[in-house]
Amino acid sequence: MNRNDDSPRTSSGLGRDRRNRRLVTIWSLAWALFFTAVTFGIKKLGWSFEVTLAAVIGTAILGLATVLAYRRFLLETDELRRKIEVEALALAFGVGVFGGLSCWLLAVSGALAIKDFAFVFVAMIFTHTAGVFLGCRRYS
Amino acid sequence: MKNRLKVLRAERDWTQADLAQRLEVSRQTVNAIEIGKYDPSLPLAFRISRLFKMSIEEIFDPETDI
Repeated sequence: MNRNDDSPRTSSGLGRDRRNRRLVTIWSLAWALFFTAVTFGIKKLGWSFEVTLAAVIGTAILGLATVLAYRRFLLETDELRRKIEVEALALAFGVGVFGGLSCWLLAVSGALAIKDFAFVFVAMIFTHTAGVFLGCRRYS
Repeated sequence: MKNRLKVLRAERDWTQADLAQRLEVSRQTVNAIEIGKYDPSLPLAFRISRLFKMSIEEIFDPETDI
């Protein structure tokens, strides 16, 4: 690593960020489409156990690919961007775990008439997006 | 943490984008450091000191905030 000269650097870092972010988007979309198709297949088409199992494993593999792509993006991105992303992830984690468990407790006690907690995951995604947006504003 | 990044950059007639490219970070990172909203990591502080051929202490002052 020789950075003693003051010659201009290429914008490879920004190009790498764009490429990594595009990969995260592609894997996320693939996972979301596959997940939607599998949910439709299980609920509406009455798939057999074997087909369902294969579809769920496929969904999990796509999910793992998404996580690995996001991890790579985090490791290689600009350090301020990483800080913003990690703070947003912490926020989303808090909403998911503590908010979700609070709703679950309310549901168990009968105060809340909810049986499906899928909205917690949606809330986590929106919280992360909002956290990144607010982080970008805070540091600019 | 107070720093002289903006002054040093202006002395060389560089834009934030120029400096960001030289440091291999985003322009937003350079801006956040200049206005004191973000303290750089140690590796980035060393890159800055090497780029300006100054010690880290000559660029960053840990005693004061902006």
